[in-house]
Amino acid sequence: MNAVGQPLSRAEGRLKVSGRASYTADRRFSGAAHAVIVHSPIANGRILSIDTSAAENACALAVFTHLNLPRMNPTPKPWSHLRPHGQGHLPLQDDSIYYAGQPVALVVAATRDQAAHAGTLIQVEYEESPPIVFGRDTAKAAIDPPQFLWPVASAVGDAERGIAAGAVRIEQTYSIADRHHNQMEPHATTAMWDADGSLTLYETTQHLYGTRELISIVLGIPAEKITVICEYLGGGFGGKAYVWPHTLLASLAAKLLNRPVHLQLTRAQMYAMVGHQAATIQTIALGADKSGKLTGIRHDSISPSSMFDNYIEYAALSTRSLWSASGGIATNHKIVHVHRNTPTAMRSPHEALGHWALEGAMDELAYAAGIDPVELRLRNDTEIDPHSGRPFSTRAMRRCLIEGAARFGWEKRSPEPRSMREGGYLIGQGMASAIYTHWRWPAKARVTLDRDGSALVEIGTHELGTGTYTVLRQVAADALGVAPERVTVRLGDTRLPPSHASIGSATMANAGASVMLAAKAARDKAIELALTGRDAPFAGTKADDIYVGDGMLRLAQRNVGVTYAELLTRNGLPHLIGDGNYDPVPEAEGPKAVFSFSAVYAEVRVDPELGLVRLRRFVGAYDAGRIINPKTARSQAIGGIIWGVGQALLEQSETDPALGRFLNRNYSGYLVPSNADIPDLDVHFVGDFDADASPLGAKGLGELTAVSVAPAIANAVYHATGKRVRDLPITVEKVM
Amino acid sequence: MHPFALLRAHDATAAIAAHAQDPELAFIAGGTDLLGLIKDRATLPARLLDINGLPDMARIDARPEGGLSIGALARMSDVAVHPEVRKRFPVITEALLFSASGQLRNMASIGGNIMQRTRCAYFRDEDDLPCNKRRPGSGCAARHGLNRNHAIFGWSDVCVATNPSDLAVALAALDAHVIVRGASGERSIPFSEFHRLPGTTPATETVLKRGELIVAIEVPPSPEGRASHYLKLRDRQSYEFALVSAAAAVAVDGRRLRSVRLALGGVAPKPWRLTAAEAALSGVSLDDPGALARAIAASFGDARPLAHNAFKIELAQRVALRALQIAGERA
Repeated sequence: MNAVGQPLSRAEGRLKVSGRASYTADRRFSGAAHAVIVHSPIANGRILSIDTSAAENACALAVFTHLNLPRMNPTPKPWSHLRPHGQGHLPLQDDSIYYAGQPVALVVAATRDQAAHAGTLIQVEYEESPPIVFGRDTAKAAIDPPQFLWPVASAVGDAERGIAAGAVRIEQTYSIADRHHNQMEPHATTAMWDADGSLTLYETTQHLYGTRELISIVLGIPAEKITVICEYLGGGFGGKAYVWPHTLLASLAAKLLNRPVHLQLTRAQMYAMVGHQAATIQTIALGADKSGKLTGIRHDSISPSSMFDNYIEYAALSTRSLWSASGGIATNHKIVHVHRNTPTAMRSPHEALGHWALEGAMDELAYAAGIDPVELRLRNDTEIDPHSGRPFSTRAMRRCLIEGAARFGWEKRSPEPRSMREGGYLIGQGMASAIYTHWRWPAKARVTLDRDGSALVEIGTHELGTGTYTVLRQVAADALGVAPERVTVRLGDTRLPPSHASIGSATMANAGASVMLAAKAARDKAIELALTGRDAPFAGTKADDIYVGDGMLRLAQRNVGVTYAELLTRNGLPHLIGDGNYDPVPEAEGPKAVFSFSAVYAEVRVDPELGLVRLRRFVGAYDAGRIINPKTARSQAIGGIIWGVGQALLEQSETDPALGRFLNRNYSGYLVPSNADIPDLDVHFVGDFDADASPLGAKGLGELTAVSVAPAIANAVYHATGKRVRDLPITVEKVM
Repeated sequence: MHPFALLRAHDATAAIAAHAQDPELAFIAGGTDLLGLIKDRATLPARLLDINGLPDMARIDARPEGGLSIGALARMSDVAVHPEVRKRFPVITEALLFSASGQLRNMASIGGNIMQRTRCAYFRDEDDLPCNKRRPGSGCAARHGLNRNHAIFGWSDVCVATNPSDLAVALAALDAHVIVRGASGERSIPFSEFHRLPGTTPATETVLKRGELIVAIEVPPSPEGRASHYLKLRDRQSYEFALVSAAAAVAVDGRRLRSVRLALGGVAPKPWRLTAAEAALSGVSLDDPGALARAIAASFGDARPLAHNAFKIELAQRVALRALQIAGERA
């Protein structure tokens, strides 16, 4: 029986639930000191003076400020996934303050509590200037940023003419609040240097190799002298994909003090020092003929960045490829430099923002044109990517729409707003679709087949909580023909073969592919031994005639077999090593356009007097290619849906206009959904093997599932109440 | 972490004496609010006196005449599930069960609950922001800042924060008394007088004096108690403070209201009793929602919105109406 496709439970599940999985901040090292960052409460200005004497007299072992910390090398330009800084501004380098929460001192002490206490004794005098904050006023001064990930603007055909030619036209502004990642595990680093000048970093990261490269450049250490380790991550969501100031500070402090230094951010500092999802103000215009066929789409987005970086939320990205429009599609992005730290990728960057406008506007179009929202999308489905002109590799949008609708019972919905009631409540049903970018990235892996018949997978990828240990085990087990429990997976260490960042839902398709190749290479070596080695059992036959299973090599034509263990013993080999090198062409350079797809359906119950919206039911149908493990995939999907419920109904990081800082910097003030907010979630996979996506046939899933939850819920709220909310989150005052 | 000394009290008289002579000492019971405040540096006591060991302060007595006496050290979860509390005053049970989380309710004491401090984000920030509660004279960042969660009643230009306790709203509606012991013996404070409005001194939130310890809450018998309800409206369905809440208790003649107790949470620096509405509601039929709403509006003439919470004026009236209707169905 194949392991791939089985709903196996997490390989590390017991370790995690029993508290034995060792997370970064759990590790203790003898002689380690503890560092705490003192940050600026002001958002704009200059440090006039810092008095660290009281801290030094109390219990600090050392205090670092811009006055005594060595200078770092500038971050590399242009920005690249391969050497990624969270932000270009480096900590404790000069007296300028660009954002509230900017580090102004690093205090090191014997314990964390002592360091924190000493930090409160540091007196900083600032010259303060009013901060620029993001909002509808400052958005008017948005500028055209340089390209970052994708082209900033796009134009296929003549969108304006297409829109103007439409019999039905929609033009609206949609907006979303700033949000923060709120991983349960705070960012943490332990840095230690050896006598030979090598650096070991225990780091909360979803990008081991990028961390190594960036540290190498900024601190001027050869990359081969840096080891980065992260065996378990307590949530990443993009916020731990790049290098943020605390990692640099801990590394430098450990070197200067010549002892291990441990640093963990406070919960409040996670709202100020390690990125966030930028708010967007988006304008969307749709034109369509009477049958609902789109004639033109224009989608523009404005988002804030820091004073020193040009981060872009590519909110209009998906609009380039989701639906076809006969006249044309135009998109553009602008940014505003404001006093905050640099925004970063947060589940699901770009896509989960842009679909809010596009799929909300599609619902508006459905009502304006008098067409069922599902039918409207079926009519605008396309087999060709409108942006690149390439055919989609696989696009099961139709199945997502139809099977999702069937599971939800969409046909029983009465389309009129306010037409479905239950007692004093209004019931609303809404839906939305989604498209998600597929990344093809290189990865290497090594599989060691041991003489005892077990196998070891080694790859420098990450376990974010998504099930990487489990799914890689399944992939290797099938390629080798051994039971999954005979496979051990090692990951989370730059001494292992290098993989890519665990972002963009790319790990299964890419890291997974390299593991499959490595396992096949090990298997092929065993086959070679079986054909030509000592006492070769299958001498004289061909490799093609040999298949693997149950830990054995078998000959197809004859009922004979040999176990891996026998084969290796016979040949006096302790093990066989297979190397996997997955080196695909980037998606954009391939002949097919590769994307994941979904259609999601939400039912809400609205208390019209009190403005309360409660999600009652949710059905998601996903085309993420072949599903490797239905259990971990479902877990990813329900996590993504809940993530989307937070975006839809709860999450907002508000900026105080005068202080220029995010308020509510904790779990009490920043609301994420509780179990009570989440009903039964029905997850349905419709995808097929996609060879263009990956040799495993898998496309990205995790991020896709957080996309379009918000527009589906908002569309349901409209159906329930007749009120169109275009600003997230949907709080009571917008509905009552 | 702010360094402090932890002391243990075994005797109420000694504890009260220690508190009286030491302005840097704070009582600690469950610690569910105080420790968070210390971590946020919103309050920085030098010494904490643990009163959990004081005898006879955790009892819940159902008085024969129909009232309750709740010891200050009784835990929220124990009070919530006490059968006589549930039977006589469902509004108390509901207010408690809608508060915090199961874990917190197991720790948090009743005395501490009514002493918990505002959730104003400026007050609780890890940094020292302009807040007259936290640092008198530093200003009120919320007054012209982000104030969706702030008051519409009873605020001053110096402080616009709300009281976060759910239980306090129920106790205010029920005309409970706070029994306080000091060096010169006990006194009984009517609940509506226990919390004070901010005026120009928002750091002083109650009428408790240094050297006074809450020993119990007395809930008098009331004919409205059994037909009572606590309605809590919040952005998240669980584990969240009220945006607006209402405690309602009624006695009826048939479908007509004979007497009403009504208080709001989340709208004022203290539990906000709607006395004008209570009077106006007397004699109104539960079957006439328009008349009920008009009577409730009698208490909203002096509501004053801030920049981001004008919606609360309407919302609070709707919440009060709904709570009243649900209590009415229990009559």
